[in-house]
Amino acid sequence: MTTMATPTQNQPTTPTTPAPVYNPKSESVMARRIKSTIFHIVALALVAMVLYPALWMITSSFKPNSEIGGANNALWSNNFSFDNFATAMEGIGGVSTLTFFTNSLILAVGAVVGTVLSASISAYAFARINFPGRGLFFGMMIATLLLPFHVVIIPQYIVFQQLGLVDTYVPLLIGKFLAADAFFVFLMVQFMRGLPAELDEAARIDGAGHVRIFGSIMLPLMKPALISTSIFSFIWSWNDFLGPLLYLNTPEKYPLPLALRLFVDQTQSSDYGAMIAMSVLALLPVLVFFLVFQRYIVEGVSTQGLKG
Amino acid sequence: MIDRRKFLTTVALGTASAAFLSACGQSSSPAQTGSADNPVTITYTWWGNDDRAERTRKAIALFESKNPDIKVNGNFSDFAGYWQKRATEAAGGGLPDVMQWDLSYLRDYGQRNQLLDLGTVKVNTDAFEKSLLPSGQIRGKTYGIPTSTNAFAVYYDPAKLAALGIAEPDGSWNYKEFNAFLTEVGQKGNGTLFGGTDYTGIWWNFNIWLRQNNIQAFTDEGKLGFSKDDLKKWWNLTADLRGTGAIVGEDKATQLLPKSPFGSNVTATEVTWDNFMAGYLADSGAKELKLVPVPSDDPDNLGLFLKPSMLMVASAKTKYKDAAARFIDFMVNDPEVGQIFKTSRGVPASKTQRDGTTFEGTDKLVVDYEKSIEKYLKDAPEPPIVGFGTLESTFKRVTQDLNYGKLTVDGAVDVWFKEAEDLIKQNA
Repeated sequence: MTTMATPTQNQPTTPTTPAPVYNPKSESVMARRIKSTIFHIVALALVAMVLYPALWMITSSFKPNSEIGGANNALWSNNFSFDNFATAMEGIGGVSTLTFFTNSLILAVGAVVGTVLSASISAYAFARINFPGRGLFFGMMIATLLLPFHVVIIPQYIVFQQLGLVDTYVPLLIGKFLAADAFFVFLMVQFMRGLPAELDEAARIDGAGHVRIFGSIMLPLMKPALISTSIFSFIWSWNDFLGPLLYLNTPEKYPLPLALRLFVDQTQSSDYGAMIAMSVLALLPVLVFFLVFQRYIVEGVSTQGLKG
Repeated sequence: MIDRRKFLTTVALGTASAAFLSACGQSSSPAQTGSADNPVTITYTWWGNDDRAERTRKAIALFESKNPDIKVNGNFSDFAGYWQKRATEAAGGGLPDVMQWDLSYLRDYGQRNQLLDLGTVKVNTDAFEKSLLPSGQIRGKTYGIPTSTNAFAVYYDPAKLAALGIAEPDGSWNYKEFNAFLTEVGQKGNGTLFGGTDYTGIWWNFNIWLRQNNIQAFTDEGKLGFSKDDLKKWWNLTADLRGTGAIVGEDKATQLLPKSPFGSNVTATEVTWDNFMAGYLADSGAKELKLVPVPSDDPDNLGLFLKPSMLMVASAKTKYKDAAARFIDFMVNDPEVGQIFKTSRGVPASKTQRDGTTFEGTDKLVVDYEKSIEKYLKDAPEPPIVGFGTLESTFKRVTQDLNYGKLTVDGAVDVWFKEAEDLIKQNA
């Protein structure tokens, strides 16, 4: 559950400029330069510290198995090769690695589509329609956020088992299409409440119904919230281990996180090299997804600020 | 607080499950056995790495070609995930038909009637050592058939000993001599090579020591069979070695994780199960590793036994008991299956399978070791008590605290006994 970071945690903690200059006259240009240099050195050192594990992972993916972990754990090696990637791409037990990637992609894209559609519609109802019991239902939805996932594992499993839906993607995706991720619904409700109500009033005067208001007014304005929802549901689904572990039985349906674990077996021999190589490969889609969409997040945050 | 939504869900679920149950009732009787045209499908699940997945796939293909009326759907996961999944399935009533099993979970699932009594179906156990079978039995019922065995041993790296000018051990040693050996390695290794890890931290080692002293670890009623004094004596065995070069420090061992100190070439010996050979060879990159018996103060009683390294079990709720039994029989007895797995599951338990398999290299080392200790072997212990896994890891943790100097031996014994007694009371 370490991925449960909310988007707000990523925002304002970036280092600010050096301490404000109180008495500019007494400070020469030289002193300011020194300050800025020190600031950059410290910042770079921090970045190096944060990026070190990633760097270690990338170099390790090229190292032979005997040089990963244990006493011989340097960043550099004289035996770099692509062998680990070759092993990783061979697949496991007759299932090709490409299949695992495809499955992960299907699940992640399904999760994004489902969450964006269902969460935005539910959020519209909570934010804009004054139906009876709205407060109660909203409270109940928030209450599901407090319910630990582990409490519902077994009841949920029994339901899907009796419906004959185990070993399909239905248990993994149905919740996404039914707005079961209260966190995203809440995020969008809060976002929508920030949008001026005059906009929908104007649309209503022009004769628009809820569908029209939702489709033509709300959705386009909610782009930042939709994008951050997409990014997070993509990453969470991509990293999800327990859900697929419990519900999928056929190896041909396994996503990447299940496959990754199969390289490490404490009861036999462990191929750390292949596991790390596959981790590097598994990281790429997430990285690309984030790079493509992150400018929208920044955009979203700044426009949100203007309206606030 | 029953609201409309909850009420509706309950009704819908009730209807759905009722429909499902009646559907089951109708279809289960005609589908008990299959034919070549209309085969029955059973599911088989196991834990392990990609190598085991590949070998199992071959074995399943062989089984299907010999038994055209049965199809086997295989699936696998890693060891930790495997038990999470089984726990959920058991609670949800959907355990797979046939499963690879671990001894420490056998009593837990067996006592809760989740596993099929294999005595009621046809699995041939004629080729098994009679001393081995009780380890798969609980109160007279056979829940698991061992696929393969492992035994405890002392590993050492001959190249490292040669480099230090230390003679290779022959395995006939008592604890004093073993300690002296570890100390010598530590002194000559001079901080770069340690003797070994603290062997008193491993439960099974303690269990063997108890057997050497003719003490039963657990009584038939599932209580502790040894006293605090016994455990004190055990943990005092290495009291003088802790903190010296004979035993690698706990802080250092932690830094090496996930690899073991032996696999990382930091120690010259390790006391553990003989089927870890392949893993140690791969981790350390050593050319050759050798196995000798564990030390004993009584040269005629080494306390050694064969333990099933894994078992085959079937779900109590399987609809295809006959097909499941035939698959289990095939996996444990067929010589060709032995050829496929070699010693990757452990040394094959069934004599038919063992004799039908040719062992080379590493595999041969392990098989030869088990042959060499044959005359010392005694009955395998009964399936461990429920919650044994917790006791085993507490044992390890308490010894780690001993090595960190956080606990004295007396304190450690008190801590472990308290936890053990609480756990036994809970499960009684």
